Amino acid sequence: MAGAGGGGCPAGNDFQWCFSQVKGAVDEDVAEADIISTVEFNYSGDLLATGDKGGRVVIFQREQENKIRPHSRGEYNVYSTFQSHEPEFDYLKSLEIEEKINKIRWLPQQNAAHFLLSTNDKTIKLWKISERDKRAEGYNLKDEDGRLRDPFRITALRVPILKPMDLMVEASPRRIFANAHTYHINSISVNSDHETYLSADDLRINLWHLEITDRSFNIVDIKPANMEELTEVITAAEFHPHQCNVLVYSSSKGTVRLCDMRSSALCDRHSKFFEEPEDPSSRSFFSEIISSISDVKFSHSGRYMMTRDYLSVKVWDLNMESRPVETHQVHEYLRSKLCSLYENDCIFDKFECCWNGSDSAVMTGSYNNFFRMFDRSTRRDVTLEASRESSKPRASLKPRKVCAGGKRKKDEISVDSLDFNKKILHTAWHPVDNVIAVAATNNLYIFQDKAN
Amino acid sequence: MEFKLEAHRIVSISLGKIYNSRVQRGGIKLHKNLLVSLVLRSARQVYLSDPCPGLYLAGSAETPVPPPQQPGEPAAGPPAGWGEPPPPTVLAAWPETQPQPERPAVPDAPRAGDAEPADAVAGAGGASPGREADAAEAAWGRVAAAGGVSDLLPEGLRGARRPCGCPAGGEDRPGASPRADCCCAPRPAEDEPPAPPVVCPRKRGAAGAGGGHAGCPAPDSTPLKKPRRNLEEQPSAAEEDGEEEMETGNVANLISIFGSSFSGLLRKSPGAGREKEEAEESGAEAAEPGQICCDKPVLRDINPWSTAIVAF
Repeated sequence: MAGAGGGGCPAGNDFQWCFSQVKGAVDEDVAEADIISTVEFNYSGDLLATGDKGGRVVIFQREQENKIRPHSRGEYNVYSTFQSHEPEFDYLKSLEIEEKINKIRWLPQQNAAHFLLSTNDKTIKLWKISERDKRAEGYNLKDEDGRLRDPFRITALRVPILKPMDLMVEASPRRIFANAHTYHINSISVNSDHETYLSADDLRINLWHLEITDRSFNIVDIKPANMEELTEVITAAEFHPHQCNVLVYSSSKGTVRLCDMRSSALCDRHSKFFEEPEDPSSRSFFSEIISSISDVKFSHSGRYMMTRDYLSVKVWDLNMESRPVETHQVHEYLRSKLCSLYENDCIFDKFECCWNGSDSAVMTGSYNNFFRMFDRSTRRDVTLEASRESSKPRASLKPRKVCAGGKRKKDEISVDSLDFNKKILHTAWHPVDNVIAVAATNNLYIFQDKAN
Repeated sequence: MEFKLEAHRIVSISLGKIYNSRVQRGGIKLHKNLLVSLVLRSARQVYLSDPCPGLYLAGSAETPVPPPQQPGEPAAGPPAGWGEPPPPTVLAAWPETQPQPERPAVPDAPRAGDAEPADAVAGAGGASPGREADAAEAAWGRVAAAGGVSDLLPEGLRGARRPCGCPAGGEDRPGASPRADCCCAPRPAEDEPPAPPVVCPRKRGAAGAGGGHAGCPAPDSTPLKKPRRNLEEQPSAAEEDGEEEMETGNVANLISIFGSSFSGLLRKSPGAGREKEEAEESGAEAAEPGQICCDKPVLRDINPWSTAIVAF
């Protein structure tokens, strides 16, 4: 790789992933509420947030470099845990609203506190996470235990003083954005203006201002007048990382539309339409399902975007709508198993994908706790596994291989012995360093590149 | 024929999924149901476009469904309301409920265009799963050639159905299948005479929201229109209310495909709060005490083998 052995380029993209940490219970019996449903690093990468099906958010913070314990540098430890959403019941429609956290998105940090948006199917909440390491002592009007003093008893006044206390991290909901979505929210995305954000459900995308909770603007509406004519739904949406007027949304038909909010208030007409013509030879009953895009992510540069459908990851150049510039097969060996995967519902799994900080590599998950990384420059790809067995500190991850058919070599795993209950849907890559977080059901694995 | 069985299997799985989605936590997931309905439609097209009449015999031999109803007595036993086992007319398009004795007399005669001999069909009944994928693809190619999946009632399908003969009594795909499917368009009205007591009450129930269509669809426009009209009325009614329902219109697509047997499905969808009120006059529903979403009555309209899936 690094072709001409480019001088200063350190190992380039030749990652050597090592196990760093694993969070979560070891118990074989996994409670549904503990299943991780979203993973997200903040802008600096110092904080890592996870949401689960039980509506809880757990935030990990990276330890600072420590001379006393040099090896603990870069370790993520629990920083804050709070219940973000509770199950609700819509009495009018006789519908239970799940508390599962669908997405978490951090806001760029503007002061000492951290802010994030978390959403379930119907409601988005803005949470403020702040530290408190001092408390005031010596109040005049109340005792140390908080009881009010009798004003007549006070004979002298004093100025309260601040005393250090054990660090306490508090999470408080600052805004609740509710009642704007009829269908299930699948995406939220903070705009580069740091003032607005979008939320997308199956048929509509709304634009919010972070300060205003009682109003949102609908900017995309693909609901047909006659629901019988419904042919596609919105599956993901994201704002451009630099151009605050540009957003993209993907559909269940495998297409992506780019909209420019400057062109009109309602962005039903797209500015760009990205679709790769279907290969007629690979048509099957399930062609439509596997072409449905489950995730769309802009590159950090804003020049490219990546889409994930059931079997592949595609990288698109925003300047070319006719076809992607790269297509990476994630688990092509599943193409012949689509019927079984349809039966056991696995074909509906929504895998996410992510870019590394320099946009030179992309990562996505698969089954059997495998996840895949594709190096865009060297065209190399690797399959790694998140498992307790290979979880010794700083142990290197061994590349895995799935044997599609024919003779199975040693160390290869045959398609039929893959565990489809162990799926990696959510992965995140540190915005700067080569640190990745991989959610495997109820466990969060953190891997670091040896060069780190 | 393997692909026909494969298609049938996929259809049954899809129906099960759609049914289960109604009771899962969080409400109907529009995206998943849309995808399932697309698969369902494709499989159904493959299934129906495949001209092998004798398969009904082979097919029904395969499926573990007791064929309780005879086509000669479509009106017998069928319920006046929701509470009884479905008549064969309801079991649209799923020939396994067609009684076997009926079939052997019919297979080849009406199907002039068919090349497949009955014995080959019967022999194909035991298709090995391994060939299913190939067979499915072959079928797929044929369907694609026949012209697209976009339409509910593609021409190719209609064409394929033409030689079906619609023998008297309408046991060939009567009832719930789209009437226009049958080559003899006006036939549905005539086909139905044995069935009206079956069809109408259900339709009335389905049409409850529409203010109660009296009697049978026969004298009216094709029954296919009824569910649609209901659907159209409901959204507008809902909109007037100033409140939007979470409509599962793709499920309504199924209703159009399968007619009355699924009208209950639409009405029992999560947005059914208002529909339920409107359907109050349907005595059959009121007659089911303690049912939250009247699951069971709808169930009884679905294939018996589907009933088995969801039995609890």
